[in-house]
Amino acid sequence: MHIPDGILPAQVCAAGYAITGLATWYSLRQINRRPDPAAEVPKASLLTAAFFVASSIYIPVPPASVHLILNGLLGVVLGHFAFPAILIGLFFQALVIGHGGITTLGVNASMMGIPALLAYHIFQLRNSVGKPLAEPTRTGVFAFLGGALGLGIAALIFLGLIIFNIPAELDAGAEQTAVLALSLSHVPLAIVEGIFTAMLVLFLRRVKPELLEG
Amino acid sequence: MGAASLDTYVHRESVIHRWTPRLKLISLVGLMFAFATVRQLALVPWMLGLTAVLYGLSGLPLTFLRQRLSYPGLFILALVVVLPLTVGNTVLWQWGWLTLRQEGLMATLLIVGRFLSILTLGFILLGTTPFLTLLHAMRSLGLPTILADMTLLSYRYLFEIAAMLATMQQAMRLRGFGQKRQRWLRVNRQTMEQLAMLAGNLLIRSYEQSERVYKAMRLRGYGYGIKSVVGQNAAAQPCALSWGLAGLVLAAAIALVIAEGILRQ
Repeated sequence: MHIPDGILPAQVCAAGYAITGLATWYSLRQINRRPDPAAEVPKASLLTAAFFVASSIYIPVPPASVHLILNGLLGVVLGHFAFPAILIGLFFQALVIGHGGITTLGVNASMMGIPALLAYHIFQLRNSVGKPLAEPTRTGVFAFLGGALGLGIAALIFLGLIIFNIPAELDAGAEQTAVLALSLSHVPLAIVEGIFTAMLVLFLRRVKPELLEG
Repeated sequence: MGAASLDTYVHRESVIHRWTPRLKLISLVGLMFAFATVRQLALVPWMLGLTAVLYGLSGLPLTFLRQRLSYPGLFILALVVVLPLTVGNTVLWQWGWLTLRQEGLMATLLIVGRFLSILTLGFILLGTTPFLTLLHAMRSLGLPTILADMTLLSYRYLFEIAAMLATMQQAMRLRGFGQKRQRWLRVNRQTMEQLAMLAGNLLIRSYEQSERVYKAMRLRGYGYGIKSVVGQNAAAQPCALSWGLAGLVLAAAIALVIAEGILRQ
């Protein structure tokens, strides 16, 4: 789910970089407010690499398989480091395997990273809105929401960008139908991603709870 | 993960290899953005020609480009193959329900042209510059310290963690994972749970390793000053050749943008 080079007009690419710049600035500001930001850099870096590697895990759904995006999970685990982590991960993907692109790096990072930041905030809500729920249901439910919405919003942005930027000759009605149909087809994927995120977060909660402190 | 083949040709001696990394980065990225502005089909041959000249100057073998392009090429093909068949009113050729339309075909040529040119420029940049040098250049252009350090550390451990995952997956298979037949279009809960634990384990192992890495870095003075892991001193002063190349490439980029503006009117 990456937009390759050559599809989007330069203005959209530039806007993507502008949004990425803003989101990176916001994230770095939040990180620098912490008591010891330097201590967290190695942790965030190795987890960035781990997420990059873990996104190659696929879930078998015969006769095909579902690839995970894990951007919601990344937000849940890395907190404010999630945006820089996604930016770096996408930079590697563009360089190492040619997936995505250099001109579209800003657009792709915003598309994946902003939902990840949202997922982080949704997961944090478990301590306020989720209070009435008992543990571990609370953690599971909010991890599911973070994972599913992280992917869901990213998919909506992706489809919107692709549909509205390629075929200039398509009429508005056809475009709306296509967006709706493609969005609906992503609902099961978002649910799978949400369940996977919840399972993983519950596992981390049992085994290494400090990883969820964000 | 293919990174080994990326670094294979970085130590050759060509004009592009000798180009100062900072200027090379600015010029080639500038040109990529100029390519992204192109919407006139008439400019596509110019764009491809310019890319071919730069690729020729870089002395990289064609096999390198073919290897690197095959995967992203398939991806874009899947994305644009429907355009000539569905978009537009001018029918060029028809055979039964299969119709080739002019507008869609032109859009495809434009997208594929831009895609090939931009991606090739990226491969020229990476194929002729070691990753660390590129990071130094980005750092000297103002990349924030935290981002530079994170990029470097992630890159350092990326292949180690990938090897860790491969070992864990092999261990799972040896213990019988994936042997059971699964029903079509069904997600097996147990399989998913096992995969979640696999990913979770990978995160925990990386986290624990990061604690050891941090302690080792701390012992060597990391975090006591504001100095980054990646230094500020990018490279030697750019020579006349580097400035000349940068000037030519940026002039071509500006010319392309102006030509696009004129043709659009």
